[in-house]
Order: sequence, then C-alpha cells, then structure tokens
Amino acid sequence: MSDPLYVKVFRFNPESDVAPKFDNFEMPVFNNMAILDVVMHIQNYLDRSLSFRFSCRIGMCGSCAMYVNGRARLACRTQVSALKTQNITIMPLPNFPIIRDLVVDMEPFFEKWKEIKPYYLPKKEINEPVTVRPDSNEREFIDDMLDCISCGCCYSACSMVATNKEYLGPAALNRAYTLIADKRDAIRVERLKVVDRSYGVWRCHTQFNCTEVCPKNIVSTRSIQNLKRRCVLRKFGIFK
Amino acid sequence: MHAWTWFLQRISAVILLIALGLHIGFLHFSNAGEPLNYSDIMARLKTPVLISLDILLLIFGLYHALYGLYSIFLDFDSGKKERVVVLGFLVVVGLGFAGFGIFSLFYITRSF
Repeated sequence: MSDPLYVKVFRFNPESDVAPKFDNFEMPVFNNMAILDVVMHIQNYLDRSLSFRFSCRIGMCGSCAMYVNGRARLACRTQVSALKTQNITIMPLPNFPIIRDLVVDMEPFFEKWKEIKPYYLPKKEINEPVTVRPDSNEREFIDDMLDCISCGCCYSACSMVATNKEYLGPAALNRAYTLIADKRDAIRVERLKVVDRSYGVWRCHTQFNCTEVCPKNIVSTRSIQNLKRRCVLRKFGIFK
Repeated sequence: MHAWTWFLQRISAVILLIALGLHIGFLHFSNAGEPLNYSDIMARLKTPVLISLDILLLIFGLYHALYGLYSIFLDFDSGKKERVVVLGFLVVVGLGFAGFGIFSLFYITRSF
C-alpha cells in the first residue's frame, strides 16, 4: 500500500461564506489516478458538498481546468503521479470570479471571445468548397492553433489579464489569429481592427505564461506576435 | 498608434544593439595610445562619427526606455486622463534629456 494523498481543497460559497477556506482530506492513491479522480473521490466518499465542473474526462471539453499545485491544469489529464508529491493543493482558476468551490464563472472569458467574432465568415466571391492546401505554411500554422478547447488555463495564467481585466487574453487572440490568417475569411480586416487596440494585442509582453500552461500545447504567444506584425502591415497598407 | 510605436520599439532595439556594439568597439579598440590620457579621449570624442553614434544611442535609448515605461503603465487599469498625463510627462522627460544630452555633446567638443 503506497502512502496516502494529502489533499488541500479551496472552499468558498459566495452566498453563505464570509471568506474562503481550505479543507484537508486524506485518501488512498489508485493506479493511474488523475486529479479528477481525486476530487470525485472527495465528493463520493468524503464531502458531498464539494463543487467542481467536468464533462468528457478525456481532455476534449475543457471543463475541468483547475489550479493544481500552483499551475493551471486539466484535472482529467493530470496524473497524480506526475506531480511527484503526496501533497496536493487544488484551487479554482485564477483571474475568474468564483461561483462555488472549484467552479468559476467563464462569462468574462467568453465575452472576450464574442468581441473577436470567433466564427468563420466566407467571402462572397468564393465558391465552396474551397481548400487551403494541407502543405501550405498558412494551413500548417492555423491547424496547430485550432486545437484550443477554451478551458481558460491560458487566461488564468496570464499576468496581463490579472492586471487588466479589459485585455482580450491569449485564447481570444489566438482564435482571432486563426481566422485572420485564413485568406477565405471575409472580415479579416475588421477582426484585425478589434485586436489592434491598447487592450488587444498590445498588452501582451511575450511572457509565455499562456504557452507554458496550455494543455493542448498551443503557442498563443506566437499567434499574438503574428497579429502584431499584421497590425503593422495594415498600417503600411500591405495587409488587406 | 500602437502599431507604429511598437514597430519603432523593434527598430530602436536593433539600432541600439548595433550602435552599442560600435560604441563599445570604439571605446576599447580605438585608443590612440596607452595609458589613456584626457586629451586623447577628448580628441576621440570630437570625431563626427562618434558624435553621431552617441546621438543615435541617446535618442533611440531614450525612446526605447520611455516607451517601455509607458507600456508597463498601460498594463494597469488607468483612465484616459491619467494616460494622457503620463504620456505627456514622458514626452517632456524624453525631449528634456535628449536636448540636454545633445547640448552636452556639442558643448564638450567645442569647449575642450
């Protein structure tokens, strides 16, 4: 029998609690145990009132992002053994309002998404189906950046979001870039105008915090730097 | 505006790297003789190339530093009024230091 896990979980109900607190739990470790198994074990056997969000359990939906041992991670994709410690601290994602315990309000995050119009609008003169060749530079870069599951890890890790709530954040900017880089898109320039403002791309200081924590290995910093270049090109009249 | 200022920040970084390299190169490898004496240093400082290089360093160094400071200021929630005041202050500081630096360079070269 291996050593037990000592888990410290953030607890807060804004409707009834005056201040947040931490609850401590001790539990056995199972083979291939993920952080999601840890919180489910707590809810099933130790404290049924613990609130957290999850859905797919396979790293596709982005619902179960939490702040585990000082880093934003997907609970379903983080193995306990990978943490290399028996002491685990689980908190809600930073930079989000707390609804209850580990559940955060994603509304501010998705408000930023709405601003960049995160959907593809085809040009009128294009006859579908239109292909962007798989071996083109354009396609190769966009493809990597399309894996975003909007879990909010990057948003929670971004120190610019922490200091300025108006900043669009890495996820929305990355999404904007995938559309702006797509030559078939009809409103590329309009999108670029939305991100070309003080609290758009220009607040990113390339600290790579978003890239560091992204569970899908998306390099949002690169997308943002590419957006900055396109903003400059637009000023020179080259980007149309 | 941000696109231009950011672009100029990148240009100034490249110019600073080159100008600093040349500046350090001049200071360390173009000595008239050893040991260094005051008149040799003044003679070197009076050369048009070195004066031009120092003016370049001064202007782009000031721009790079002050724009960096303004950029840090923008990271924090601030109103339009505060932004205008801080920008105005930094422009005045930048112009003041640039003027003082250029004046000093020409004053030194003419006086000694």
